[in-house]
Amino acid sequence: MTNHEKLRDLIIDTFLLEPSEYSLELRRENVDTWDSLGIVSMAVGVHETFGYHFTPDEATGIESVADIVRILESKGISFAEG
Amino acid sequence: MVRILEETPGDPTAIDRAWEEPETFCVLPAKGDVSAQWVRAQWELLPERFERDHFALLTSGSTGAPKLVVGERCRAEALARLLHEVQDSECVAEAILTLPLSYCYSFVNQWLWARVVGRRLVPTLGFTDPARLAHTLEAARDGMLCLVGAQLALFEEHLPGRTFPGIVRLHFAGGPFPQARLERLAERFPNASVFNNYGCAEAMPRLTLRRAEEADEPLDVGRPLPGVELRRGEGGALEFRSPFGAVALVEEGRGRVLDPEEWIPTGDHGDAVQGGSWRLAGRKGDVFKRFGEKISLARIRESVAGAFDGEVQTYREVDRMGEEGFSLLLSPTPSDEDVRAVLLALRRKHPRTHWPLRVESVERLPRLPNGKVALGELETLEGKTLHWKNRI
Repeated sequence: MTNHEKLRDLIIDTFLLEPSEYSLELRRENVDTWDSLGIVSMAVGVHETFGYHFTPDEATGIESVADIVRILESKGISFAEG
Repeated sequence: MVRILEETPGDPTAIDRAWEEPETFCVLPAKGDVSAQWVRAQWELLPERFERDHFALLTSGSTGAPKLVVGERCRAEALARLLHEVQDSECVAEAILTLPLSYCYSFVNQWLWARVVGRRLVPTLGFTDPARLAHTLEAARDGMLCLVGAQLALFEEHLPGRTFPGIVRLHFAGGPFPQARLERLAERFPNASVFNNYGCAEAMPRLTLRRAEEADEPLDVGRPLPGVELRRGEGGALEFRSPFGAVALVEEGRGRVLDPEEWIPTGDHGDAVQGGSWRLAGRKGDVFKRFGEKISLARIRESVAGAFDGEVQTYREVDRMGEEGFSLLLSPTPSDEDVRAVLLALRRKHPRTHWPLRVESVERLPRLPNGKVALGELETLEGKTLHWKNRI
């Protein structure tokens, strides 16, 4: 499974999305379940899946799936394959 | 002393005879770990006046420990006559037994009701012998059937596609009313009027009456029976006073005579709703706070039941942060599509704080002898499949 696929599954699982709702462009304001507890849940999931702990500022500053990819890539986790 | 009647499944003649004698008796379940010796020891905790013209049944207390509940025969007979009148049951010619008579609902709502109005009683071994049960149901003429909702899964498993037009009354108690399955029930029992028969063992057993079509929600238990009062007690506990209720009980080594003016907890939480009906919020312990928000597990089970065509149970747990939570247990094992539908139902109807810690499944739920789910075993049940986990 590619990192893109892992992230897609994690986001769907964390925010209880329909698979069709998911995209890299998906933004926080468009997801009713992307609330403060959702951010905590997503951060825990990112750590479990990719081994990286978001800092509190990173976690609360994330506005889209693309932001997650950008942060993880900056930590050496590649999404180039997908 | 109390006379002990060991239940003989499918054969109520010993109970018939005992009712004709003044000596008080207790029906001991055929399956179960309560001994006659234990019942006799509990009986010593009650005044001597209960040794005649009463009867005793066993139920589970709030801790799961057995509780002895004592009813007065004349009260129970009065309830049966009342039920016959208010449930428009003159057309019913026979009552088909699928639940053990040691279970209060079955004892009063079927055996005693049949006896009081001279209705034919047709004992069966229930789903211990599904083929015979199917034969009995197919041969029924103007029959009445009392079920607990959990038995519907057994109909699906053992008697798929069979229809029983001879059943004209279908009563449910002992768990959530199967609102989401009414269409399927209408196919299986095409001539049956369906009723929600809410109550509890202390009520011996009935408190309210609701025809299926009178509400859209499974937790709506309808209006109190004539003479029965309900109120919302401390902390939302649903309490009752009833002229038909139990007169004494023994619980956790303590005998107690119930005062006619006393408000008795049903073990559920609930509120009055429009039109004089009452709506359950769940069992005591089903309502709690998680991250400061009140959760009703009954409401959550109701939401999930609308998305999953199987049984939905919950059990309480504490999450890794020490916060109260719960897990959702489905049965039988759902497809991936079912799990997705359940999760979407949770998202649509509940905030994240109401979501379970886990969504799990088992092929079959553990059951008590009366057909109800053995709730105390759910947490430690082996062989559960994990479908989803909450990360907070």
